[in-house]
Amino acid sequence: MASVRLRGIQKSYGDNLVIKGVDLDVEDGQFVVFVGPSGCGKSTLLRMIAGLEDISAGTLELGGRPCNGVDPARRGIAMVFQSYALYPHMTVADNMGFALKLAKVAKAEIAERVGRAAAILQIDHLLDRKPKALSGGQRQRVAIGRAIVRKPEVFLFDEPLSNLDAALRAQTRVELAQLHRELGSTMIYVTHDQVEAMTLGQKIVVFNGGRIEQAGTPLDLYERPANRFVAGFLGSPRMNFIPAVLAGEEGATARLRLPDGSLAEVAADVAQARVGAALTLGIRPEHLRLQFDPAAAAGPGGIPATVALVEYLGDVTLVHVRVDGVDATLAAKVQAGGAAPASGSRVRLGFDPARAYLFDEAGLAFISRT
Amino acid sequence: MNARSSLAWTVLGAASAIVLAALWAAPLLWALSTALRPELETVSSDFHWLPQTWTLDAFAKTLAAGNLLRWLLNSALVALGVTVVTMAISLMAAYAFSQLRFRGRSLVFGLAMLAFLLPFEALLVPLFRTMHQLGLVNSYAGIVLPQVVSPVVIYVFKGFFDAIPADFREAATMDGAGPLRVLWSVYLPLSGNIVWAMAIVTFIAAWNNFLWPFIIVTSTDMMTIPLGLTQTYDAFGVRYAQLMAAALLGALPVALAYVLFQKKVTQGFLAASGLKG
Amino acid sequence: MERTVLPLAAAVSAKREGLPALVLLGPFLLAFLLFFLVPACETFWLSLTDSSLTRTNAFVGLDNYATLLRDASFRDALANTFYFALLTVIPLTALGLLMALLVNRFVRVQGWLQGVFFLPFVLPISVMTLVADWMLQPSSGIVNHLLGSQRPWLADPDWALPAVAIGTVWWTVGFNMLLFLAGLRNIPAEQYEAAALDGARGWSLFAHITWPSLRPVTTTCLILQMIASLKVFGQTYILTSGGPFNTTRVTLHYMYETAFTQSDAGYAAAIAMAFVAVVLMLSLLQAWVVRWMARRDA
Repeated sequence: MASVRLRGIQKSYGDNLVIKGVDLDVEDGQFVVFVGPSGCGKSTLLRMIAGLEDISAGTLELGGRPCNGVDPARRGIAMVFQSYALYPHMTVADNMGFALKLAKVAKAEIAERVGRAAAILQIDHLLDRKPKALSGGQRQRVAIGRAIVRKPEVFLFDEPLSNLDAALRAQTRVELAQLHRELGSTMIYVTHDQVEAMTLGQKIVVFNGGRIEQAGTPLDLYERPANRFVAGFLGSPRMNFIPAVLAGEEGATARLRLPDGSLAEVAADVAQARVGAALTLGIRPEHLRLQFDPAAAAGPGGIPATVALVEYLGDVTLVHVRVDGVDATLAAKVQAGGAAPASGSRVRLGFDPARAYLFDEAGLAFISRT
Repeated sequence: MNARSSLAWTVLGAASAIVLAALWAAPLLWALSTALRPELETVSSDFHWLPQTWTLDAFAKTLAAGNLLRWLLNSALVALGVTVVTMAISLMAAYAFSQLRFRGRSLVFGLAMLAFLLPFEALLVPLFRTMHQLGLVNSYAGIVLPQVVSPVVIYVFKGFFDAIPADFREAATMDGAGPLRVLWSVYLPLSGNIVWAMAIVTFIAAWNNFLWPFIIVTSTDMMTIPLGLTQTYDAFGVRYAQLMAAALLGALPVALAYVLFQKKVTQGFLAASGLKG
Repeated sequence: MERTVLPLAAAVSAKREGLPALVLLGPFLLAFLLFFLVPACETFWLSLTDSSLTRTNAFVGLDNYATLLRDASFRDALANTFYFALLTVIPLTALGLLMALLVNRFVRVQGWLQGVFFLPFVLPISVMTLVADWMLQPSSGIVNHLLGSQRPWLADPDWALPAVAIGTVWWTVGFNMLLFLAGLRNIPAEQYEAAALDGARGWSLFAHITWPSLRPVTTTCLILQMIASLKVFGQTYILTSGGPFNTTRVTLHYMYETAFTQSDAGYAAAIAMAFVAVVLMLSLLQAWVVRWMARRDA
C-alpha cells in the first residue's frame, strides 16, 4: 500500500510557524498536486514527506508506517528535484544506478533496471553521456528515470517542469500523465502553475500561507471553490471579483448592489448574512456576457462598463473592461470570429445568476442551493 | 597625441619588463652557470658569464657526497605525508563544517579559524616539548604532524563546498548515501580542481618548510632539503660550484611542480590568501 | 479529523548529524588540540614560569615580562625587525604592483613573465640563501664584480640587513604580484571603456581607474607584507647568524636563542607572547582598515 497520511503536520523555523497544521490523505496510486503561490509551504511539505526537512509536530505515515524521523532513503520514496540534481561527473547510467549501487544491488540487476527505466523514458541512447551533454528535457527524463529505477512506493516531484520552455512543458505534461497511467504509482507533484495542476492532478490540494485552502478533484475546485482564494487561483484569466453589498434575498437568490449602483442577482443561500454586508461577487471570464451592440448597450439591464483593452489570442478573444467603482479591470472571454467591441466603447455586462459566486467578508463562499 | 603617448608607455613598459625579468632570472641562471664550471674557475679573478669549461663535475660530486639524496628522500616523504594527511583531515572537516548541522558548529569553526591569528612561530617551544614527551623528536612523524593543522585549507574547501548546490547532497541522501559517502562520491569529484591546487600548494609549503624541521630535527640524516642545504656550508667549505649544484638540485622538485602545474599553483596560493584567482 | 500533536522533533536533526560530524571532524580536532590549542595555552603558561626547555619549573608570575621590558637585546631585536620590515614592505608592494601591471599588459609573454617573477617564491629558503651568499661573496661574487667593489656585504654591520632584505625581495615578490594580478582582473572592463570614452588615456586611466580600484588590495598587501616581514627568521639565521654584531638578530631569532641556546623556555615564551601581540594588532588593523575602505566606497 503506497498511501500517504498527514495528520496535524506543523513546521517551524525557530519561532516562525510556516506550516500551520496540515491534514491530508493520499490514496494508493493517486496523482496528487500541491499547488499554491510561492512561499505557501507546498515545497516545504513535500520535503518533509521526503525526509529532507524535519517535522516539528504531527505524524506522517507512508504506507501505514509512521515515518517521522526515518531516513529519507528508507521511506520507499524517490524525488525528482526542480534542478534535477544530476551528478555532473557520472554518466546517465551511473546517475540512475547510484542508489542501487549504494544499496549493494548486484551489477546485473542494476543494469537491467536502469535499462528498463531508460526504455520507458526513451533515453536508452543517452546512457553513456554525461549530464552536461544533454538538453534540458533529456536531463529531466534522467531525473525521472533515476526515481523510477528505485521502484519507490511514492514519487515526489518538486516543480519538475519549471526549467523547461513552454512547448516542452506542454509535451512533458502529457508524458507525465502517461507515465502515471503506466506505472500506477502514487505521485505527489508540487507546482505553482495551475494549468499543470488542473491537467495532471486527480486530486488538487491548494495551499496558502502554510494551510490547506481546499482539496478535491480539479473540477470540484474549479466549479465549487470553497473560498475566494481558491476561486481566484484556479482558472486563467482569473475570476473577476466585484465588491457588492447585500441588498436583499428572494428565495434562493441574493440581490446585490454594485459600486456603480446597478443591481445584480446571484443564486446563493445567504440566509446567514445580514442586509448591508460587504460581500464579493465572483464571475469567471467565460461566464461574463458582453452586450456591445450600441443600440442594446444604451438600454437598461446589465452593468455598464467601458472597454479598456482587447486581446486577440486566436482561439478566443479577451475583452478587458472597466466598471465604475471597481479598481481592477474585469475580463470577459468572447469566442473568436465574432465581433469584438472597440477599445473605449461602452458595453453592458451580464451573467447567469446560477454561474456567479458569492463570498462573505472572510472570503468564504456561499453555497448555491441549485 | 594619443597614439604617441600610448607608444611611449608601451616602450617604457616593455623596457621595464625586460630589465625586471633579467634581474629576476639572473640569480638562478648565474647559479646554473656556476654549477656547470670547474671549481677553480669559480674563484678565479678572470670573470666570465658563461663557463669556459663546461662540466657536470659539481653535480656529480654533490650527489656523491651522499647526504643530498637522503635529504631529497626525507623531503619527499615528509612533503607527501603532510599533503596526504592534511588533505584527508581538511576535506572531512570542511565537509562537516559546510554540510552537517550540529550543535556548536560555528563555535568550533571560529575556534579553528582562530589559528590564523596566532603565528606558528609562537608555538615552537611548547611544540618541541610536546614532541619531546611523545618521543617524536627527530622523527618523520615529529616533522609531519604539526604541519597537518591547516585552517587555511579547511577555510578554502569549506568555501567551495558551500557553493555547491544543496540539491546534490539531498539527492544523494535520498539515494541512501551517508555523509562520508556523499563527500566521497559527490563533493570530492565536484571539487577536483581546487583539491589539486591546495594539494600542490601544501606540498610546496611542506617541502620548503624550514622553521619547524629546523627545530625538531637533530641529526644530519633526518634533515629535509632546506635544512640540509644549510649544512653544505660546512661540508663543502668554499666549493661554490658544488654549493650551487646542491642548491639547484634541492630546488628542482618544487620548481618542476611549479612549471608543470603553474595554473594550479597560482590558483592555490591565491585561494589561500583569501582572494579569488 | 482528529489531530494528534506530538512534541517538537527538531532536536532529531542536530542529534542525527552529530555523530557523523564527530567522525569527520575528529582527526582535525585531535590534531588541532594537540598541535595548536594546547601549545598555545602552554606558551602563555610557560611565559609565567622560569622553565627550561625540557623541564618545568616554578611559577614566577609576570617576572619574565618585567625583564622583557628592560631587556636591551630585545629592544634591539625589535628594532632590527622593524628596520627589516621598513626595507622590504614598500619595495615588495611597489614591485609587486609594477610586475602585475606588466604581466597584465603584455599578454603574449604572460606565462613566461609571470613564471620568472614567481618562481623564486616556490623555492626553499636555503636555495635563496645559498645563491645570495654566493652572489655577495667579497672577491668572487658577481655583485662586487659588477659594482667594482670589494665590500663584504654580509659581514658589514651597515649592509648586512639591507642585503638580506634585497634577497628577500627577490624571493617573495611573486606572491604580491599574484595578489595585484587578481585585483587587476577584478576590475570590470567596462570601467576602462567608459573612461576611455570620457577621454582618459594612459596615465590618467591608471590614476583614476586602476589605482583607486586597487586600494583594498594594496592595503591588504602592505599589511600582509608587514606581518610577514616581522616574522623573518630563516634568512637572517642562515646568511648571517644574526650578526655581524647582532645587527641582523631579529625578534624570532632572539626567541630561538633564548629557548634553544640558553634553554630558557619561560623567557622565550614571554618573547613569543609579546611577538604575538604585535602581529595580532597588525592583523586586526588590516581587517579593520579593509572593512572601513569597503564601507567608505560602498
